[in-house]
Amino acid sequence: MTSVGAKLKRERQQQENRRNRLYVAAVALFAFIWMLPVLWTVVTSFRPEPALQRNLASLIPHPFTTENWSFILGSSQLWKWVGNSVFVSTTHTLAQLTVCSLAAYAFARLDFYFKRILYVLVLAGLMVPFEATFLPVYLLFANLDLHNTLIALILPGIASSFAVFLLTQFFRGIPLELEEAAMMDGASRMRIFLTIILPLSTPVITALAIFTFLGNWNSYLWPLISATTTEVYTIVIGLRKISQAWGFVDFYGRNMAAAVFTAMPIIIFFFIFQRRIISGIAINSGIK
Amino acid sequence: MISFSVERMVDSLFGLFEVFNPIVEPYRRFHEKLPPKIQQTITAFLFILPFGILYAIFTILPIFQTFYISLHKWEIMGTNIRYIGLKNFERLLTRDTQFHQAFEQTILFVALTIPIIFVGLFFALMLNRPIRGIGIFRTIFYLPNIIAVTVIGLIWSRVFASSGRGLINAFLEQFGAGPIPFLDQGDLATLVVSFTTLWWTVGFSMLIFLAGLQDISQALYDAAKVDGANRRQQFRHITIPGLRRPFAFLCILQVIASFQIFGQVDVMTRGGPAGNTRTIVYNIFETTFLYFQVGYGTAMAVIMFAVLLVISIIQLIAFRDQGLGN
Repeated sequence: MTSVGAKLKRERQQQENRRNRLYVAAVALFAFIWMLPVLWTVVTSFRPEPALQRNLASLIPHPFTTENWSFILGSSQLWKWVGNSVFVSTTHTLAQLTVCSLAAYAFARLDFYFKRILYVLVLAGLMVPFEATFLPVYLLFANLDLHNTLIALILPGIASSFAVFLLTQFFRGIPLELEEAAMMDGASRMRIFLTIILPLSTPVITALAIFTFLGNWNSYLWPLISATTTEVYTIVIGLRKISQAWGFVDFYGRNMAAAVFTAMPIIIFFFIFQRRIISGIAINSGIK
Repeated sequence: MISFSVERMVDSLFGLFEVFNPIVEPYRRFHEKLPPKIQQTITAFLFILPFGILYAIFTILPIFQTFYISLHKWEIMGTNIRYIGLKNFERLLTRDTQFHQAFEQTILFVALTIPIIFVGLFFALMLNRPIRGIGIFRTIFYLPNIIAVTVIGLIWSRVFASSGRGLINAFLEQFGAGPIPFLDQGDLATLVVSFTTLWWTVGFSMLIFLAGLQDISQALYDAAKVDGANRRQQFRHITIPGLRRPFAFLCILQVIASFQIFGQVDVMTRGGPAGNTRTIVYNIFETTFLYFQVGYGTAMAVIMFAVLLVISIIQLIAFRDQGLGN
């Protein structure tokens, strides 16, 4: 009897496995079609111009060339733009974390006059779209003659209402007893903040850092209007420039190589922080 | 071996500030004599100060300046500035047909991108199964979302390019069909930009729904099975109600994000053909940086700000019982 039962169970298991494999195959096929344009872009970047003139719609890189890529990788300008992006986004992220976590600590832990009204003022910033502020900020930088500098790309957005909100919420959840013990030992608020609060907040701070970095790296409108000379372009704006210069007719393959090149750093970044990004979405959107 | 200690790093950091002791010590003695709440107020203000300065310069002041500038005829080089009261708004609301068209176009984009939420739900349901190896597809569908709009726009404008220089038309050409003027015909271009937005951002909705699905207790499904509920009934009465919160959240974000569509339009169509894909933000951008009319562009920004504010308030009230109201 038992052997019959075990056999039945095994058969059902096998059937289940077969169904699952079929399901995954169907999903894989769909994902393949969904990503076809990306595959085509990559393949096109390895095809020579004459072949592209003859037939654009091909997924077979034959004849094959690395000429497009050697041009892109040999372009000091593109590397400079990547460098600008790395510098701007890193500085922006570090500055935002510093400035916003300090403010958040005060809102989470200190009891002070005007606290409520100040916190409401900060939260009100969540309702202010970029469009409501960017023209005066543009004029401010113009008056200070700071356009076409990396500083102009770094400064706006450092004081983020969202970051203060997120960090305040998190800091409030840290048990008070930990601080009280340190306070007994005569530690200052700054020491408590640096040695107790920050180390305990690494998950939320990493999540915030990743999304701030991504957001700044991908920001479009502000660098587009502020950076108008090629030396200070970020890679995102630089790609817009060269794709407009090259258009749809000449340098098709080179254009595609430039697109892949632009996406590459952030894809690498994504695979390094993949787990934290996927789980961080829930943290950052306040769903969890 | 290097031992890492936060404590020690902070000690050495504080050590650097010891040079200020002659000033700090007398102050500290004074500070300690103050009432505790005043003490904390001083400390708190020092903690908030760096944020406060930047927040004032880049958020608070610009809002007031935006209103101020919108009441002027103001050219970007700052030579021709004149107070004209509400004339900018009068012109915008009554006579500026281009602005009206941009407004309608933006509403159309909002409507056409709402389905992103439902496609995201579909993807989430598709991938929410305990099968080995399915996690990789979450990554694949989410990946476009973190790529810059320039890359996304470049790829899709080449896929949909109107002549034989686009993937689809080149493909059709082999069979003697086409070409389809995807980006040269207003309605088609609108659909193409909307589809590109879907492809780009659907992964975000998917992940939010996946998180939501995982929050629904398995016990509910088990109980339903015991009661003899079939899959459809389970979906209808457990899954759908369980996803209300992520759904509300995505609705709010999606409407606001679509209202601000700019990058896709700038990269793919530059507002064309014949201004057919020109959105409000693109209109502001053109008015200000092509025609240098900051005053007029700012008036548009004020209207947009007001509309967005009204939308968010309506949404917050509508979704209040989903726990997003606070």
